[in-house]
Amino acid sequence: MGEVRDISGRVQAIDSTATDKALFVRTSGMEIVEWDHKKIVDTLIRETYIDEDTACRVADEVQKVILNSKIEVLTAPLVRELVDAKLIEMGLESARRMHTRLGMPLYDVEELLVNHNKENANVPHGPEATNLTLAENIKKEYALLTVFSQEVGDAHMRGDIHMHDLGFIDRPYCSGQSLEYLKKFGLNLPNALAVARPAKRADVLLAHMVKFAAALQSNFAGAIGWDAVNLFFAPYLTDLSDDDIKQLAQMMIYEFSQQAVARGGQAIFTDINIYWEVPKHFEDVPAIGPGGEFTGKTYGEYEKDAQRFAKALFECYMEGDACGRPFFFPKPLVHITEKFFKTEGHEEFLELICNVSAEKGTTYYVFDRGDTAKISECCRLSFKLEKQDFEDAKEPWKMRYSALQNVTINLPRIAYKAKGDDQTLFTELTKMMELCCTAHLEKRAFIEKLLSQGENGPLALLTMNRDGQSYLRMHRVSYLMGMVGLNEMVKVHLGTELHESEEAFKLGLKIIAHMKLITDKFSRHHKMHFVLEQTPAESTSYRFAKLDLKHFSPIAGHTVRGDISTGNVYYTNSTQLHVGCDVNAVDRVGREGLFHPLIEAGAITHIWLGEQRPSAASLASFVKKVFTNTHNDQIAFSPEFTTCISCGRTERGLTETCTRCGSDDVEGITRITGYFTKVSSWNDGKLGELAERMRNNGFFASKPATCDEAESGQGG
Amino acid sequence: MTLFTKEDCEKCEYVKDNFDLTSLGVSIETLGPENPDALAHLAWHGLVTVAEKMLPILVLDDSTHIAGALKIKKYLKALEH
Repeated sequence: MGEVRDISGRVQAIDSTATDKALFVRTSGMEIVEWDHKKIVDTLIRETYIDEDTACRVADEVQKVILNSKIEVLTAPLVRELVDAKLIEMGLESARRMHTRLGMPLYDVEELLVNHNKENANVPHGPEATNLTLAENIKKEYALLTVFSQEVGDAHMRGDIHMHDLGFIDRPYCSGQSLEYLKKFGLNLPNALAVARPAKRADVLLAHMVKFAAALQSNFAGAIGWDAVNLFFAPYLTDLSDDDIKQLAQMMIYEFSQQAVARGGQAIFTDINIYWEVPKHFEDVPAIGPGGEFTGKTYGEYEKDAQRFAKALFECYMEGDACGRPFFFPKPLVHITEKFFKTEGHEEFLELICNVSAEKGTTYYVFDRGDTAKISECCRLSFKLEKQDFEDAKEPWKMRYSALQNVTINLPRIAYKAKGDDQTLFTELTKMMELCCTAHLEKRAFIEKLLSQGENGPLALLTMNRDGQSYLRMHRVSYLMGMVGLNEMVKVHLGTELHESEEAFKLGLKIIAHMKLITDKFSRHHKMHFVLEQTPAESTSYRFAKLDLKHFSPIAGHTVRGDISTGNVYYTNSTQLHVGCDVNAVDRVGREGLFHPLIEAGAITHIWLGEQRPSAASLASFVKKVFTNTHNDQIAFSPEFTTCISCGRTERGLTETCTRCGSDDVEGITRITGYFTKVSSWNDGKLGELAERMRNNGFFASKPATCDEAESGQGG
Repeated sequence: MTLFTKEDCEKCEYVKDNFDLTSLGVSIETLGPENPDALAHLAWHGLVTVAEKMLPILVLDDSTHIAGALKIKKYLKALEH
């Protein structure tokens, strides 16, 4: 005999042969329905491969359990759990897998709704953000169960590799685009309630850009980069005064930097590529102007207007926001080329952007040496232009690039397994790369399945074909393979870190060279574009370190960086030297730069400044030397700030209290990986790294910051 | 000195065929899909980008380099005398 409660709470005695009448189930469809054991049968037949007789047997068994139990509130998820348990009991593992319910424990949901999730410092805490995280968690589970093979999924779970943005399994990773697409076709998006013709004014073009960026961010997991923004705006600026251009620049920066609050979820991770000169591949290209019409001029003829806009943007960056804080987005990436140094006014512009670096840290310097040209975005990702791309540059709206996925390898773990044996080290590394390759093939298959539904499918935006080909050009998609902890890998294998011996550094180069050759091999074999990227690893280096402490102690305990006692542990990012090693900025940029030509999809060197305020001249001289004397791909200078929530003052350095009003309601700000953000949103690993950063004290000639400068800001 | 070459590179073969590189103290590194050591060595000298455009490359003992068969030939000829 058993008893159950019905919805009114009455307890009814029933025996195991009783009919279904007394049982009610609370369903996920938000109904309370009468128990019907046939529903289990129907579900099993629909969702798994088992036959009707077996399904009936499972349903009977589950009904018995329910009737014999004293379950007070019977819910559909509980029924599903009981069915799954029965399937396991009966040895039907494959059916159990197919019948899995995805979701989160009650406790975790409550934690999530109340406490801040710090996996991505770019996501604020709020109802929309928790929606995002809840959805992400389910999609992660779905990806690991369904999209990826068990082997790949388990390698991710173990921490051998890390598949980024699993919660965004149904989107590509990052993208780079051209404003020319909007200028030519207007804002004509699938499922839009209104279609806009090509913009006739600069401010309307900006509105289109911001809205399109938001739409793109809903279809890509990572950054949304824009090529040659100042140049492509130029045909709209010819009749505008300097004041109007400054206003437009200010609108662009505020529109993108305030989107995080408006969206609730992740800010639109926006990068704008800026050129002082007109890049060679755009010089003779017919310019598109207001109304989507060709202006009859080439972009080479718009150099001055493009320069006016570039200057206006950096004047706004210099001012910072209303509290004098640096703007986090859009990130300005200035391309430094041979032609840059031959273009009139470059000295003045270089001083301006270096002044912005010194004051706010906002500028990124992308070095395009020789004939190299690229679109940069994300924390360091680059799409290097190839022969066909230079052809496409004649019709620049075609220039749309994407990375479909990023998979990162836990390098120190390979060294733990190799136990000092070279052959094992490289064999294991190859094995991990093969897994990454499989992960990419599996993700590609899934995305192609979604894309095949065209403009009626979930990726409608990416399939729109206003210029005769899909917006997402699959034939130009890259597949990224990243690395974390080369420094620690080498240390475990040889006993010295990258900066401590030539032998260690050369082993580091050999490991990355090996990885490059393997990606080239994958590319040839699969006819896909596999490339290495320095993974930003905002949370991955923390995750790998934590997992290795758990599974590879005691050696991992001697290897991970940070403070084990507080849990602030991490591995050194990608191929970089350890953040705390005593190597001056020149040497760091030079040595790290030797890896960069092997890492086609982007690499960067960070120069941490702490509370120093170097002179613009010293940074400009440094930038020139980096361009001329090194192979470094990209650099950024990172000062630190404290902003007071109480009085609004922003000052240099990270402090516990405001030096003006004494309030402890302060917020630290500095660069986490490839972007600025509030330190309070950082994960424990990144906090561990922050504590150990070598801040190049006294290396650059400094200019003392005055209080007036620190407090300046505007909001208009 | 190190001469960076690759397979199926006529200019590389020309330099290799016309000089007794061993007696001149030149070791050969052949770049290829199975040779990470050579690529790492090339990267150590900061010559990956140069090699994408031009081979062979001769790295001298002072770590400076000469790129292109004709220039290398001229240098090695002078060295022979």
